[in-house]
Amino acid sequence: MRAIAFIFLIGVAATAGCTKNNRAPETRLDETIPVDTRDTSGNNGARYHGNFSNGPYGTVSGAVTIYFQNGKYMLALESIGISNGPDLHVYLSKEMLPINFIDLGKLKSTNGNQLYEINNAPDFAVYKYALIHCQQYNHLFGSAELQ
Amino acid sequence: MKKLTVLALAIFFRVAAYSQPAALPRINQFVDISGTVGSSEGSIAGSYVYNWRIGKRRKWEAGLGIRSTSYFGTKKDFRTAPARLARSTTTPFIIVFAGQETQNWDTLTVQRPFINSVNVSVNFGYNFNPKWSGGFNIDLIGFSFGRKSSAILTSNGVTRTEPAAFTPAFNLLLTGDNDYGSLNSEFFLKYKLSAHWGIRAIYQFYFGEYKTNDVKQTAPDGTIVDRFRNKANTYGAGLAYHF
Repeated sequence: MRAIAFIFLIGVAATAGCTKNNRAPETRLDETIPVDTRDTSGNNGARYHGNFSNGPYGTVSGAVTIYFQNGKYMLALESIGISNGPDLHVYLSKEMLPINFIDLGKLKSTNGNQLYEINNAPDFAVYKYALIHCQQYNHLFGSAELQ
Repeated sequence: MKKLTVLALAIFFRVAAYSQPAALPRINQFVDISGTVGSSEGSIAGSYVYNWRIGKRRKWEAGLGIRSTSYFGTKKDFRTAPARLARSTTTPFIIVFAGQETQNWDTLTVQRPFINSVNVSVNFGYNFNPKWSGGFNIDLIGFSFGRKSSAILTSNGVTRTEPAAFTPAFNLLLTGDNDYGSLNSEFFLKYKLSAHWGIRAIYQFYFGEYKTNDVKQTAPDGTIVDRFRNKANTYGAGLAYHF
């Protein structure tokens, strides 16, 4: 009987490991978005902009802007509102569906203003979509074409 | 005096006879269920084993079995599988100790791997005493089926989505990275609770394989790779019923 109870506990532990919550935080996040002006050297400022539309799953509202500041590109989600889901990520993608993409990380919050660092300097003529994507289930929540 | 000597010898042989453990049955036949857990992964397995005890004292045993294993996990990394790319040599058995050619490896992150495999296994064991035994088993050949899962192939810093990675149907033990498919192996320690029931503590080493449809790796030598392997180390327990 004790052996059966031990096996049962192992099973419970295994199941518990599979049900951990990985949804995005819902507390509003307001990170400081760079000012959309160019400095005297003309380097800093907004480069690309787009507005989100809903994907096949979930809803996404708000805007996205790519800023160049202090030698780095940043992706800013502005006044964003996203229906929550598991394992939501922010992508820069070549296509509206995330076939070839750069993962900028997990979504920090489902609403507010957020910044994501972009490593290196992708060609935004190629990586021309910002996506909110549920990675675990391969569900697209929303996309914005960068122009 | 002569009578005393005979009596002493009789007592000695009687004690000696009692101190000899009874020989274990020639056949060890049992069914077993087990569960193991690891980092964001786990497995459950059921097996039937038929072992022959060998040697004068029948301490050693070996035999065959059939095992069904279900492996599941979340966001597990599967690396480039072909032995020619993964290791410095493909010589059977030697490959287990061969250097890892990590410069050839790409990573397929399978989002929700779930592999079911049914394999013939080979089993080895040693009976320390009637209560305690230990052993090793490994899958030899069989088949797999499982859930398709989206995956992300990371290759030279570029990430691409594979919408439906799948588990290959055929499993074959060829030692180390020469293997094909999904194969389970265990080191275990067993304690017999009674004549029929026993419990096991298990260290499991599980080879799982996924293949891609749309997205493939181009290896440094130009070959196209669609096989990716995960090596899972998990720990768990089992319950056995001996016939």
